[in-house]
Order: sequence, then structure tokens, then C-alpha cells
Amino acid sequence: MPMKGRFPIRRTLEYLQKGDIVLKNRVKIMTVNYNTSGELSDGARKFVFFNIPQIQYKNQWLQIMMFKNMTPSPFLKFYLDDGEQVLVDMEGKDYKQISQHVKKILGKSEEVLQAEAQAKMQASNPANFGPRKYCLRECICEVEGQVPCPGATPLPKEMTGKHRARMAAAAAQE
Amino acid sequence: MFQVIGGRGVQVTRLLAPGRAVLVEAVRGRKSRTDTVAKSKQGRIKVPPPVDPTEMVVLKERYAEYEMITRALRLEFKEEVLRKKYEEETGSMAEERSRQEAEEHRALMVFNDQENLRMLQQRVVRIQMEKEEAENKQVEAAIERELQQQEFIKEKEREILKLQEDAKNFITLENLDQRIEEALDSPKNYNFAVDKEGRVVKQTMLQ
Repeated sequence: MPMKGRFPIRRTLEYLQKGDIVLKNRVKIMTVNYNTSGELSDGARKFVFFNIPQIQYKNQWLQIMMFKNMTPSPFLKFYLDDGEQVLVDMEGKDYKQISQHVKKILGKSEEVLQAEAQAKMQASNPANFGPRKYCLRECICEVEGQVPCPGATPLPKEMTGKHRARMAAAAAQE
Repeated sequence: MFQVIGGRGVQVTRLLAPGRAVLVEAVRGRKSRTDTVAKSKQGRIKVPPPVDPTEMVVLKERYAEYEMITRALRLEFKEEVLRKKYEEETGSMAEERSRQEAEEHRALMVFNDQENLRMLQQRVVRIQMEKEEAENKQVEAAIERELQQQEFIKEKEREILKLQEDAKNFITLENLDQRIEEALDSPKNYNFAVDKEGRVVKQTMLQ
């Protein structure tokens, strides 16, 4: 049963979903410059090791690039869609501080996230029946405990419209 | 199969015809035009379903009204959706919101810049301290090296002096006879005794 890597917990869905940095829609590219050795770059290394998977999971359309040993001090750079570049110095900081700082300056706030979740819930009402693309189910026959689809198993005679019409006609005749 | 009825007949036909926008054309079906007609359909003349004029008139009116209402409703809903979208993007609230967002963003960027400045100052101080330490270390190392060199020289001088001292006791050709005489005159006893406790006794009888 393979557990791959040094901290295989980073590969679990639960860990990824716990990530709380959702960046604003304006941020398109995130660049991380860090060093593989040195005391000052330790926070940056831990940030890359632990937090980047969470960030990518929560921001699927964000491009993240890592550069190693290119500059003496580590930093983050965010490229927004109007050409603005945001530089964040990481030297000597702890990885928790870095993630909190990033969340503060470029992350979506709690209210915005909740409003978005609400909107999504409203759009996807489980009471709607329709095409798979837009709704959960297409017909009531798909639900457990309901009458099964007459296409799969024929309905009992008493439930068919034909029989009921005949009964109604017979009753009217009498 | 579909004849053209011209003149006044057209109005009547229009009144009596079911109000469909698109006429359904005859579809070929399974057989091509060269296939023979089936035996049971040999003399068949297809007749359109009979139309009751009064019923047709009433139905047309009702259908017209019904379709007008449903079309109006549909368009209303479409318009509502479009209006909402428009409001969302270019309404008065949207401008407020975007302005507020821009301001917040600017404030956050200022905060970030201050943070960066603080880090920069810390870094400058740190580099300064490191440089000073390095310089101190270098100076100390130089002093160490100087001391070691001095020690070395002193050591060598001491050895030279020791050698000079020893040189006075060397046996040379002139001293040879004298030294032999001295050696013969004073016999040295190299024997010693050790008891069980490990005490060494150097004074033994020479035989």
C-alpha cells in the first residue's frame, strides 16, 4: 500500500480542502523564487512544501511557477490581469506568517467566499429535474423509493392511463 | 400533391387553414420514389383531415391569444434576466463596489509595501552586522597567524640554543683519549631490581 513522499498527508483530499487561501480573480500568475539551502529561506521552503498544493487546489486556474537558487533572498511575485505586479518579501519569515500575509493582501475575504457559496447553492437546486448538465436528476424514477421507470419495468395494469380510461368509460356507461 | 389555390380562395384557405407557421413537407420515409406502391395502398388518395369552419375560427382566436400571452411571458422573463445581468455589470451598485474594491486593494498594497520596507531595513541591518563580524574574524585570524609565526620562530631559536649547549659536551678527536679515560675510571651500573609491589631499586651491587 504505497505512501509516496516524505509527508504523504499533503496528497490527501482532506488536507487540500483545508487550504484557506482563495486568491482574487484578478490574480493570474504566482511566481515563487526561493533557495534550496540557507537558514533564511527555510520559511519559504516550508511554504512551497506545505501550502502550494493547497493553493493550487483552491485556485485551479492560477499559474504557479517555482524558481530555485536564482536570487540570494526568497520572494513571491503576483501578476494581476491589469499588468500590476505585487512583490512579497519572504526572507526570514515563518511559513505560517507568509500564508497569512498572502491571504490578507490578495485573498478573498470570508464574506465574499460565503456569498459565492450561497450563489452556487441557489443555482444548483436539488429540487430541479432536467438535463444532467444543469440538474442532479432527470426524472423522479431515478430516486430511491419512487415508482421505477416504465421504460425498464412495465407498470402494473391498474396504473396505466389506458386502463383507467377504460374503467372511467365503463363507469360512465353504467 | 400541394396545389396552389389563387384569388379569393386564398383568404378562405388562410381562415380555414390551421395556424401553423411552418408547413410540414412530405417526408420520403423508407421507400424511394422508384419503389412500387404497396398492394393495400394502390388506389389511395390522401385526404387532409376535415375542418369545421366555426370550430376553426374559434380555435384560431383562442390559440392566437394563448400564444400571444405565452410569448409575452417568455420575453418578460428573458428581459428580467438580461436586466439583472446588466445591473450586475454596469449598475450604480456595481460602480460603488468596484470603487470600494479598488480602494481596498490600494490600501492592501500600501500595507504590503510597508511590510517589504520593514523587511528591507531588517535585511540591511543584518547584512551590516554580518559584514562587521566577517571583518572582525579576518583581523583576529591575521593576529592568530602572526602569533603562531612568532611562536614558531621562538621554538626554533630555543632548539638552536639547546644544540649549542649540547655541542659543548660532544666527543671530538681531541677529547677522545680523555673521555675514554674518564669512562673507564667511573663504571656505571645499569642493573636494577624490582620487587613484587613494583618498587624499582636502582642501587645494586656492581659485580
